[in-house]
Formats: sequence, C-alpha cells, structure tokens
Amino acid sequence: MIELIDNTLQFVITLIAGIGAGVLYYKGRKQAYFLLSCFLGTFSLGTLYWTLHVLLFSHSPQIFYVSELAWIASSLFLLTLEYTLSTPEERRFKHPAVWLVPIVCIPQLILYLAHGDILFNLLICGLTMAAAWYSVRGLLYARRQSGKPRDMQYFHIVVLCIIALEYCLWTASCFWVSDTLTNPYFAFDFLLTAAMFALLPTTRKAVAA
Amino acid sequence: MTYIENIFVCIAAPLLVAALCMGKRYARAFFFCFAGMAACLLSAYINTFFAQVYNADMINATTQIAPVVEEIMKLLPLLFYLLVFEPKPEKINISVLILAAGFATFENICYLTQNGAANLPFLLIRGFGTGAMHIVCGAIAGYGLAYVWQREWLKIAGTAGLLGAAVTFHAIYNLLIAYGGTAQYIAYALPILTITAGIGAGKLLKIKYLR
Repeated sequence: MIELIDNTLQFVITLIAGIGAGVLYYKGRKQAYFLLSCFLGTFSLGTLYWTLHVLLFSHSPQIFYVSELAWIASSLFLLTLEYTLSTPEERRFKHPAVWLVPIVCIPQLILYLAHGDILFNLLICGLTMAAAWYSVRGLLYARRQSGKPRDMQYFHIVVLCIIALEYCLWTASCFWVSDTLTNPYFAFDFLLTAAMFALLPTTRKAVAA
Repeated sequence: MTYIENIFVCIAAPLLVAALCMGKRYARAFFFCFAGMAACLLSAYINTFFAQVYNADMINATTQIAPVVEEIMKLLPLLFYLLVFEPKPEKINISVLILAAGFATFENICYLTQNGAANLPFLLIRGFGTGAMHIVCGAIAGYGLAYVWQREWLKIAGTAGLLGAAVTFHAIYNLLIAYGGTAQYIAYALPILTITAGIGAGKLLKIKYLR
C-alpha cells in the first residue's frame, strides 16, 4: 500500500512540475525549460507505468525494461539540461573535487551489478555519474562567482540531491526490509519527489542567472 | 501454429507488384508499408526469443517485453531513413504513420488468422483500439523526431525520450488490456482520446510541425 501511495505521489508531483516547466517554456521559449519539461515528463511516464503495474498486479515489473527506458531517457534530458545551462568558461573549469563522483559512485555501481540487471545499471549509473560530475563542477564554479551567476549553485545542489537520493534509493532496494514505512527506501523516495519538484524554482533561478 | 512469414509473403507480394507498377514517386510509401509489416514479423520472433530467455508468461511478455521490442523495431527503419536520407520534417511524419499503419495492419491480420473473424463488434473495437494505439505511438515518434532532428543539441536525448514515451504508452495500453474488465475498455478508448487530445492541443498551441 505504501509503495502505491509513494509512486502515485511521485507521478502526480513530477507531472505537475513537468506541466509547470512546459508552461514556462511556452511563455519564455527558453531551451532549459523545454529540457526540464522533457526530464520531468519522461520520469513521470516511467513512474506511471510502474504505478499502474503495482496497482493492477500487486507487484512491480521485474522482467523487462519499460519504466527503465523512460528513466534512462529522463537522465539523458537532465544531462543535456546541465550542459545547456553551463557556460564555456564553466566547461573549461577544472577542480580535483569532481573525482569524488567516481570514487563514491563506482563502488555503488559494483553493488548494483551484483544485485540487479547489468545493462540497465551500467547505463543509468553512467548517466547519473556524468550528471553528478557536471553538477559538482558547476557548483564549485558557481560558488566562485558573484551576483546573479552565483544563483546557479542552487540548481546544482538540487541536481546533486536528486542523484544522491537515487543512489540511496537503489542501495536501499538491494537490502529490502519490508513494505512498510520502516523501510528507508520510502523515505528516500519521498525526498526524491520533493527534490524533483524543487528543480523547477531552481532552474528558474539558473535561467535568470 | 501460425506461419506468419507465409502471411507476410502473401500480403507483401501484391503490394510489391503494385509498387513496381506505380514507379519511384510512391516508392517511399510502399517502402514504409513493407518496413512496418517486416518490423511486425521480426518483432514476433524477437518477442518469442526474449519470452523464452526470461521465462516470461503471457501477461509479462505482453506487458513488458512486447512494447519495448515492437517500438524499437518500428524506430529502426525510421532511424535508417533519417540518418541516410536526411528528409524534410513533413516527410518524416507521413513515413512514420505509414510504417505504423503497416505494422498495425499486419498485426491485425495475424490476430484474425489465430482467433477468427466471427465477432465483428469486438473486432471493430480491437481494430480501432490496437490500430489507433500503433498510430499514436507512430505519431509520438514521427512528430517528435521531426522536431528533435532539427536541433543538434536534442538529437540523442530527444530520440531516447521519444522511444521511452512510445514504449510507455504502448506498455500502459497492453497492461490495461491484459488486466481485462473495465480497464480493457479504458485501454481501447485511450488511443482515440489521445489522438483527439493531440489534434486539439496542436490547434490550440498552433504548433507548426503538428499541422
């Protein structure tokens, strides 16, 4: 039951945020809003299928990659969004702290490969690692700026939160406790939903910067 | 046992003769019609292969394997067309819709040979339901690709996104059909409602590439 509530809430919130981003794109014709709308839209579509499967058949889909395909596409949109928002100077910026991303993520990836599907985990972890790399670099770069460009840091913080929560979620799913609220998986998923929604105002700040 | 390759030969032969008689002008339409039917034929083989590999039952094969395989198979001829011929956006839309119609027609013919054609009301519902579903998925891919492939920065993410959207729509349709009862009738109405909403939204937002 809690899984159904969690997934339904996530679908509704990401859909609302996606529509919000679509409206902002329609008003301002900014590329970033279009990409954000695509990111949230594809993510919510994947969640919708997952939710319907849980609702109708009382268990999550476990054989093939339907929702996973939508989530991979959403990660690609997030990566494209980060690239679009970055400036040429930011792309040239180098800092040793970005190497923390593979140091943290690769052991997690090994854990997921031991517990789950190889192809999907390689793809999704590869994409999220690239997105986290961009975010850490963007965050460090933005914090060295002053005035409006410094506001970019909020966008990067939220993206980092989303990626960190996704990793926590996947790790928790490797050690499934129960279908109740005592399972940390649901706490991470509720936080992920909130972080997804927070991406809308922070992207507005980033576009304004 | 259904010899779908024999059905394919039987359906494709007169179309091939017609294509040769009608000349180059209509070659593209016939090519995509054949490609749609061939994609359906190959999808059947690949679906069976994956169902065996994953030891999937009928419901899991229908709701999880078939949508992914069929949508990828439908996208492949289109990607070939986009990469090799670099067509204009309006040509992409028409090509995808013909491809999807070819796929849906061949699938319906295979369904009829397996289940008979006695129940006209059900076949009418199924024809408009499943047929329209393939057209919707084709429209998502076609109109989407026409937009996405004009923008370098969006090509990879956009193509993956459109594939994800088409697969999810197809999978939700199959999921509701597999569940049966009222959900089945919601599924049959879903594609027609989506087409109506799509046309309405296109007119409302005055999106050029949707016209």
